Amino acid sequence: MREHIQNRRYHVEIIPPKQDSEKLDADLAQFADRYRRVMGSGYCACITDNAMGLLAFQGLETIEYLGLPLPADQVMIHLNTFHTKPGLDEILGCGLRMGLKYLLVVSGDGSDRLPRLQPSDVGARGVSSVTSVELIAYIRARYPSYALGAAFNPYEPPDHEFDKMERKLAAGASFIVTQPIIERHPVVDELLRRYPRVPTVVEAWMTKKLYLLSDVVGYKIPEDAAYSPIDTLRKLHAWYPLCGVYLSLLGFKVQYPIVEKLWKNMPEASA
Amino acid sequence: MKIVVCVKQVPGTSDAKIDPDTKRIIREGIKSIMNPFDLYAVEEAVLLRERFGGEVIAVSMGPERASAVIREALSIGADRGALLSDRAFGGSDTWATSYALARAVDTIGGVDLVICGKQAVDGDTAQVGPGIAAHLGFSQAAYAARVVDVSKNSITVQRMNEDGYDVCELSLPAVVTVVKGINQPRVPSLRGVIAARAADVPVWKPADINADVSRIGLDASPTRVVRTAPPEPRAGRTERVEGSPGECAARLIELLNARELIQGVHSSCG
Repeated sequence: MREHIQNRRYHVEIIPPKQDSEKLDADLAQFADRYRRVMGSGYCACITDNAMGLLAFQGLETIEYLGLPLPADQVMIHLNTFHTKPGLDEILGCGLRMGLKYLLVVSGDGSDRLPRLQPSDVGARGVSSVTSVELIAYIRARYPSYALGAAFNPYEPPDHEFDKMERKLAAGASFIVTQPIIERHPVVDELLRRYPRVPTVVEAWMTKKLYLLSDVVGYKIPEDAAYSPIDTLRKLHAWYPLCGVYLSLLGFKVQYPIVEKLWKNMPEASA
Repeated sequence: MKIVVCVKQVPGTSDAKIDPDTKRIIREGIKSIMNPFDLYAVEEAVLLRERFGGEVIAVSMGPERASAVIREALSIGADRGALLSDRAFGGSDTWATSYALARAVDTIGGVDLVICGKQAVDGDTAQVGPGIAAHLGFSQAAYAARVVDVSKNSITVQRMNEDGYDVCELSLPAVVTVVKGINQPRVPSLRGVIAARAADVPVWKPADINADVSRIGLDASPTRVVRTAPPEPRAGRTERVEGSPGECAARLIELLNARELIQGVHSSCG
């Protein structure tokens, strides 16, 4: 992951087609186009796992079905705790066969249609439910070749969040990806102070709809709140020059060409 | 084991409107889904086939667009399906519907087990499964929460009732309706969905299932919907407790004590 940052390799979120898509062929074609574009830019494609509990097709099976390449350094699959044990092992085994290296392990958002891993599934003792900590520990023990990322939420109470981060790192996480950062955040500063050796990627919120983050940040953001994703991205590079950047909800038509030039053309001192 | 699983397409909303003239749900403009309880029925059928071998056949009755729920069942693991669709079926109540579905089961032939969701979320009658059993003369158990055992000639299920559970052994062939929680329905794979999309779903007319047309459709349906009305709003009210955790806990104890929901608990914090 450190090479991603040194090589200014953006992490670009791509959402697989939804299970209930009424235009599946078009959605698959769009997924393939975006994925190829990310590969062509030398960036890392980050494939979500039923984001916000909305049922979508699994990333690896979508990549495999579409016959897309999977360069080990250019793909990161999100993996959450809402799977059956056989389903989890199928994903992890499939990832190994396809040469996948990076997993971002998160607790995730469930729904009635999604099963949830049980502590016994991942050999966890003394816990009533499986969180990303237990899932990281399971993958580290059973599939040691993966590089595992852990999520960090600076909007949670810091003591609690840092305690969780300690446990995630102790369980085997080797890099960190934050929740969207829309202004310089003291808790992120503290994270970087505490873990200077752990590669950290900050998330850039790339849609103008800032209000969609209300639940994440824990306060109501008005629907008409002015927000410039590109300006914020520039600031993120300035605030956190030693971090990678994860681009969520990136616009591929207008924003992508701008983003392609942005980090690449920044002077060395900024990056 | 040859298993027929009955599935129904229902409105994917809890805010469906009723046509005041026909007293039927207005389906236009509303996204349709598979009846949620039927997902458990399909999953249970597929699980049984995985354990004991055989075949799972998904059957539905409805307009041609209802073939979507057959395809969804195929994407989850059903082997094949059929849709009963014809104007003659239109307006069927639970009695006429269960007759038509029973005819389909009979036409398929050699069926050991019919599995249905406990009820459809649009009509909420829970009558079709038992109706199929009645028309076919099959044994039946409604509200099954677990399949305990299956043998060559019988199936044993744990059945929910108002006092808890009982265990019933049914001779095969049988009809079982299942509740949520009997299993965790699998999520379809992309390949499953693509294959299901390309699958042939035959449309069966009354003649294809040797149905007596005088026993299907609106005229053959003894049920008459006289009046429909939305349910009364629930009388409960919400009180938001705010403050520090200690203050919230103290207030909560106070409220629960006041309603005599707990006794002898006193707050020592806050």
